Amino acid sequence: MPYKIISHFAIIILTVSISSFVNTPVVFETTTGRIDFKSVAKLEIIKASSAELVGLIDIDKLNFSFSVNMRSFKGFNGALQQEHFYEKYIETDIYPVATYKGKIIEEPDLSKSGTYAVRTKGMFTLHGISQERIIKSEITVKDNKITIKSSFKVFLAEHNIPIPKVVNQKLANEIAVDVNAVLIPR
Amino acid sequence: MKKKLLTAGLFFFIGFSLSAQEVDLDKMLDDEMEKKKKSQVELAAATFKSTRIINGHSVESTQKGILDFRIQHRFGTLNQGAYEFFGLDNASMRIGFDYGLSDRLSIGIGRSTFGKQFDGFAKYRILWQSTGKKNMPISLTWVSSLMLQSLRNPDDGIKRNFSDRVFYAHQAIIARKFSPAFSLQLMPTMVHYNIVPTATVPNDLFAIGSAARVKLTNSIALMGEYYYQLPNNKLPGTTNSLALGVDIETGGHVFQLQFTNSTGMTERTFITETTGKWGDGDIHFGFNISRVFTIKKTKELPQQ
Repeated sequence: MPYKIISHFAIIILTVSISSFVNTPVVFETTTGRIDFKSVAKLEIIKASSAELVGLIDIDKLNFSFSVNMRSFKGFNGALQQEHFYEKYIETDIYPVATYKGKIIEEPDLSKSGTYAVRTKGMFTLHGISQERIIKSEITVKDNKITIKSSFKVFLAEHNIPIPKVVNQKLANEIAVDVNAVLIPR
Repeated sequence: MKKKLLTAGLFFFIGFSLSAQEVDLDKMLDDEMEKKKKSQVELAAATFKSTRIINGHSVESTQKGILDFRIQHRFGTLNQGAYEFFGLDNASMRIGFDYGLSDRLSIGIGRSTFGKQFDGFAKYRILWQSTGKKNMPISLTWVSSLMLQSLRNPDDGIKRNFSDRVFYAHQAIIARKFSPAFSLQLMPTMVHYNIVPTATVPNDLFAIGSAARVKLTNSIALMGEYYYQLPNNKLPGTTNSLALGVDIETGGHVFQLQFTNSTGMTERTFITETTGKWGDGDIHFGFNISRVFTIKKTKELPQQ
């Protein structure tokens, strides 16, 4: 009888440990991703950065979800310009965040080390306007970390952010965005 | 043995269904964003668009590294009639420079035609409305100013001291941005006179001001400002100051247009020495122009 109980337990422990092995992390996360953007217009170059990108990648389903607080962007060519960015262009009181949520089109095995050039497809939302975008990205998996690098363009007109006439020589419609983030298992 | 297998299978199934549970990335993201928000202090931006409501100070101080060149201009009163072109032939003005030493501390100097007066002030934001880690419902700014009248003494043989030309004002400005479109502030104020015309008038005159901003569009807002002089805190023949106007904002300028019964534009001259009455048409049309220059750039995030 005691032998039976022991074997019983052995099987239970074995199955639990197998199922917990299946349970290895599939979600990777960052809360300190970096975003740099740059507007190059005739009379002025405007740059700003945030190091508060929050993002998650599910390496099993290959979908992802990223968000950044627009008030975390710092830099600009002066305090007033920064205030205008928050108040007049992005309207952070109404639209506090920008998000990008979607799926990786290719099917890289992100549980294996390596560098993968992929395309991502998802909804990019800024200033309350969502656009379906395909954005290229470079994903590097190494030491149980996922590093993503991505460069893309945001067009202000697509997000209903008008450029007033008085600043149309100072603010470009095309904003170059760089994203760099390191995600760790959640 | 069969029973054993069954148990094992059951446990395996439970374990598997736990691990295969739907991963809701969007919910995780919302949770993380919420967590981040709660761990940070988010200061209310632009309770007022300018450091002045119309005549008096707003709770905002000039941002760090910004030099603000300001021209405040009031025409004569509308009731001066057609001959004076409804006041446009006359003018009272103040030219000044404000500078932000830090995001909370600013200083300024100015010169007014009213009383040929020089003035200087220091302004400090003590509390800043915020949400997140620190929840602060209001902003509080302190302004102290000194005014020096340089108008020549009349040649009447009466001996006057230099100190008779000096005035001080202190204001506590309490403000709240209720929504992106509506901000309100209260300004308990004391103006000190080294010399007053009669013995019945105290040297320290108290008044309470209130001001509001209602945003109409992204660049246009309605502004109002009223100062109530407390009973027995009035110079003879003076009235309370009321000003109504619009703020128009373009690139680096804030352009303010207003109607007011006050001629002066410093605390002493408009809070305690306004003589115009709205009802009698003693209304000055006027404007404030502000042009900012960035002397020091804002800090960038360090490069990676």
